[in-house]
Amino acid sequence: MSADSGGAGLRGRGMSAETGGDPAGRGAPIRVLVVDDHPIWRDAVARDLAAAGFEVRAGIGEGRQAVRVAPGLGCHVAVVDLHLPDLPGPELIRGLLAGSPGLRILVLSASGEQQDVLDAVKAGASGYLLKSASSGELVDAARRTAAGDAVFTPGLAGLVLGEYRRLADRAEPEATDTPQLTERETQVLRLVATGLTYRQIAERLTLSHRTVQNHVQNTLTKLQLHNRVELVRYALDNGLGDAADA
Amino acid sequence: MRRRIHCRVPASRPRTERAPRLRAVSDLFVRTGRHPVDGVESLLWRAVSIFRLLSCAYAAVLTLHYAPEYTDPLGGYAVVAAMAVWTLVSIVGYAPGRDAATGRARPAPASPLLLGADLAVALGCLLATRWVVPPGQNPEILPMLWVASAPLAWGVAGGSGAGTVAALALSIGDVFVRDSVTEGTLNLAILILLPGALMGYVAGLATRAEKQSRRAAQLEAATIERERLARAVHDSVLQVLALVQRRGAEIGGPAAELGRLAGEQESALRALVASALLPHTPEGTADLCTALRGFEAPLVTIALPAARIPLPSADCVEVTAAVRAALDNVAKHAGPDTRVWILAEAGKDMVTVTVRDDGPGIAPGRLEQAEAEGRLGIAQSIRMRTARLGGTVSVTAPPGQGTEIELRLPLRAARISDGRRAA
Repeated sequence: MSADSGGAGLRGRGMSAETGGDPAGRGAPIRVLVVDDHPIWRDAVARDLAAAGFEVRAGIGEGRQAVRVAPGLGCHVAVVDLHLPDLPGPELIRGLLAGSPGLRILVLSASGEQQDVLDAVKAGASGYLLKSASSGELVDAARRTAAGDAVFTPGLAGLVLGEYRRLADRAEPEATDTPQLTERETQVLRLVATGLTYRQIAERLTLSHRTVQNHVQNTLTKLQLHNRVELVRYALDNGLGDAADA
Repeated sequence: MRRRIHCRVPASRPRTERAPRLRAVSDLFVRTGRHPVDGVESLLWRAVSIFRLLSCAYAAVLTLHYAPEYTDPLGGYAVVAAMAVWTLVSIVGYAPGRDAATGRARPAPASPLLLGADLAVALGCLLATRWVVPPGQNPEILPMLWVASAPLAWGVAGGSGAGTVAALALSIGDVFVRDSVTEGTLNLAILILLPGALMGYVAGLATRAEKQSRRAAQLEAATIERERLARAVHDSVLQVLALVQRRGAEIGGPAAELGRLAGEQESALRALVASALLPHTPEGTADLCTALRGFEAPLVTIALPAARIPLPSADCVEVTAAVRAALDNVAKHAGPDTRVWILAEAGKDMVTVTVRDDGPGIAPGRLEQAEAEGRLGIAQSIRMRTARLGGTVSVTAPPGQGTEIELRLPLRAARISDGRRAA
């Protein structure tokens, strides 16, 4: 990898306020942070987002640097790659969220490594997109992430379904804190995993688009909450009580 | 952008250099344990050499004590001196060389000349007893147990057969010394036969064990190397291919074709890399996830759990064939731009594989009609394969949302030799 991957020299201009409008709808551009150690990718992502009216505050190639500077940037969304040389994906995501709790994280990864993606989502990322997605899909995903929606690919839905199954299989019969999917949530996730859009799912299940979104969002929230509880429990069990802040 | 690949295995054959002569003797004691990676064979050579030194010292002490009563005291001293000289010569001669690069001991194969000389010297010292020590006098043979060092060396170098041969030669020599077969000759024969044969057996065993553990280490290194390559491919080539695909599609024209090709390669390579990174499944089972990942293509999206789904190998092949039949079905009946999604789920006692396409779907009643007319087609081959595994198939076509084929397979505990789900 090239040595200058830590540069933060990408600035996008908010060109059209109505395409890149901010989540609160005040017309200001969405501020975005791009974290990817691959300079060509970083530039491509930043360019696409800037062209769509986002304000790209920084493009950073190193995880630790991203965690350090993110709180000062005031971004709405961080578009991050999972495979940075200096910081594992989940740690990057936890670090970013610790510094800026309101930040939304969209994982953009070339990864076929399923466990990495699952860990990233459990650590708090709210969306996942493969790098093979088109720039239109990327812009749309970044906008939806900024608006607080969970952005699921079929692959991510499959992973989340699998994780709930795993937790259910592993759980003691009397365990009450194991997160479970409702029947409806399972149904929605399975449809997402087989490629239906939220609109198609809403149509098939005669629900509103918003309700479908909420179901998907809930599956993620429960998983992230459980993951936090597990982390704290692990910390307490290992005598790290003071260090754990949940 | 070029990544350096660090090679763990030296490209050329490692050079072996013999230890400096004077150090060979001190090495026996000083270097013990300092090189835990030293091979078993060099440790055995060290043991033989130490035995040689100690037994030589013991023989020397006894000779000094009894020599005044010998027929030929000077002859006694000469034999002990010869033993001492040969002890040093053989220690240097058999000493393992050290690998110049790693410092690891590398036993050079003992030369037949050295082994022959070793046995000849031992035999000579034994036979000298006849002219030096009067009958009935202690010790019964001059070199005492020192003679056993030759069979020990033969055993290490050539296995238990060679050790036995050397011991037999010395036993015959002993009969000549005493002129008859007595309890003493039998005692000595057994005393040197046992260590010679035993040492050979142990050496063979240890060498085999060492080979096996080295092979295991090589396998492990190869696996680590494969994983490292997979990550390297993932971090560089895949990124660029994905980028080419994306930009190509945006630019359009001939570039779109290039982008499409890059996309195909990206999918294929991603599937390959992902399978290299997966943990191995137990013997006789195959991972359904790995198998399904092989179907990944620009128009085919795979959704899987993070963990593998181990199935008996034959069942995995059957399920994969059923999914392939479903994909063929799509290719045959739906347009060329039809997209397909494959979802695999594994519960405690059920595996579900769903194949959905966004093609025109099936008009209501058409499936039943086709079946009634005896035109069973591809759907039937999916049904048969699934039924063979005790599973069921359901085909649905919600209006305007393509066709869904769902395979449900019972996961009987006995079918998983993994043990994970046995409870």
